[in-house]
Amino acid sequence: MDPGLNLLLWVLRLAFLALLWVALALMARALLRDVRAASRDPAASLGRLVVVASSGQPAAGAVFGVDAVATLGRDLGSSVVVDDPYASAQHAVLTFRGRAWYVEDLRSTNGTQVNGAPVVGVAALAYGDEIRIGDVRLRLERGRG
Amino acid sequence: MTGLAADVRAPALPGFPRPRPRPRELALLAAVILALGVGSLSLGLARTGRLEPADLPGLALFAGGLLAAHALLVLAGRRVDEILLPAAALLGGIGMLVMERLPQDLVVQEIGPWTLGLGDLQLVWLGVALAVATAIAVALRSDRWLRLYKYTWAASGLVLLALTFIFGSEVNGSRLTLQIGPISGQPSELLKVILVVFFAAYLAENRILLADARVRLVGPITVPPLAYLAPIGAMLALALGIVVVQRDLGAALLFYAVFLGLLFLATGRRTDVVLGLLLFAAGFALLALFFPHVQQRIAVWLDPWADPLGDGYQLIQALHAFARGGLVGTGLGAGLPEIGGRLPIPAVHTDFPLAAIGEELGMTGVAAVLAAYLVIVGRGLRIAAAARDDFRALLAAGLALVVGVQAAIIAGGNLKLIPLTGITLPFVSYGGSSLLANAIVVGMLLALSDRGAAPLAPPRPSRLARLRRSPGGPS
Repeated sequence: MDPGLNLLLWVLRLAFLALLWVALALMARALLRDVRAASRDPAASLGRLVVVASSGQPAAGAVFGVDAVATLGRDLGSSVVVDDPYASAQHAVLTFRGRAWYVEDLRSTNGTQVNGAPVVGVAALAYGDEIRIGDVRLRLERGRG
Repeated sequence: MTGLAADVRAPALPGFPRPRPRPRELALLAAVILALGVGSLSLGLARTGRLEPADLPGLALFAGGLLAAHALLVLAGRRVDEILLPAAALLGGIGMLVMERLPQDLVVQEIGPWTLGLGDLQLVWLGVALAVATAIAVALRSDRWLRLYKYTWAASGLVLLALTFIFGSEVNGSRLTLQIGPISGQPSELLKVILVVFFAAYLAENRILLADARVRLVGPITVPPLAYLAPIGAMLALALGIVVVQRDLGAALLFYAVFLGLLFLATGRRTDVVLGLLLFAAGFALLALFFPHVQQRIAVWLDPWADPLGDGYQLIQALHAFARGGLVGTGLGAGLPEIGGRLPIPAVHTDFPLAAIGEELGMTGVAAVLAAYLVIVGRGLRIAAAARDDFRALLAAGLALVVGVQAAIIAGGNLKLIPLTGITLPFVSYGGSSLLANAIVVGMLLALSDRGAAPLAPPRPSRLARLRRSPGGPS
């Protein structure tokens, strides 16, 4: 092979390697941007309560971010205000302890249900489970983290 | 309680989905295609002495397939990940160049009127894999059928494996290949995906019990309640037993590592991992005591030069290839000298593609391949962290782990870091089953990354209701 082509081959070889790394660097940049955007997300929270069905307020489709302790009830000071005729003022409390979510019924008049079963004292929750207070059904989902 | 979890599906958009541009994916794909084009030019020049791509139609088909997959994802309008496809395409493209570069008569199949060599076959499989990944990414919306039928999935996977054991054909002393009509495949590749689905579904359902209802073992060391560990343990033991008897040690290592990783992700208990590693060490010692082929693998790993022309031959040739490659390699098409008309490394296209890359692209190329796996694993774990519920999170993490651990096992084996076990390098190795299984992994990760339609704003009460509620009237 004549020296010109040899030089060209040498350039192409190294250009191939360089371009592979350029593509990877672009991917790494996209990854980093994504992580940064997620850490800046103001809606970041441990979990989210999605209102599946409701009689009044909050309306179906509403989403609440919840942190380690969240109170549910008709009281306006609750983390998630459940304005339902069958809800007590301090109805239930949702907590994240160590590794799992728990919902505790605060001796409400009409009780709390998880996936249709009444809560006696404290019940463990997994993501995707449904809490029912009066006619309001709330689904626990993972927070955007 | 958790078994009754509500069906989690992506909220359906009203009417036909609106196309959603994916500029990031397009840019990354363009960068990948450009790099592969230059690589193909360098291979062509080294081979023929003329400035032309090595296999222009093949390269064009691959690039066209990638762009078609991109277009389909745009048209589908789902908000799915934009980095996974380019990263997998980078690995697949490098694999395609390597297969084009190797002697084409390593694998020859006649399909109808055509006789296809190694590179052409790999191209066909890459096309099939791309189609499968795109179809899953576009069509997979509900995870209910994966989650509910977990025992059915696991059982079908095991039956497939058992069938291979009974009816399979023997290649290189292991029965790993099942032949149905003209199509032959390695079911253990598919089983890895099925096992991840089962592990994720089982662990998501029993996560709280396994993590918090602990049974005291010795002193402060606690284990999950054994009754709840039994189903998953039995499934793991069955899968491991079959693959170990089949002498597919790489698959056994992969299954166990992925199981431990998922168990840790589900319970968050370090002691479980430590106990699992101790169990692994004990099991490995037992295997080494009773199976001569395990002893042989360890002996080759410790000192391949003890039998340089026999057992150690393959590994020694691979190490020489890495050494010849150096920092930037000899260039595509300029390495891998043939010894007596044969390639130095046996099974280079399935088990040792990394050695071929190491020789012709050097350490820079090997590091690029490993970095691409890192991108895929990192992306998979990101998808897991953003998932809506435990099952989707564990599934995404498990799928990412499968790719990463498999790459680590075979790369470590090729480099004499750990004993060599014959599994494929994901996306790069020649082989339909491997490409197909990894395509399913990418497709499922893409589908799992769907963030759904942008959440609808909660409906506002009507104007009349707002007027009634505020006592002072409109302000």
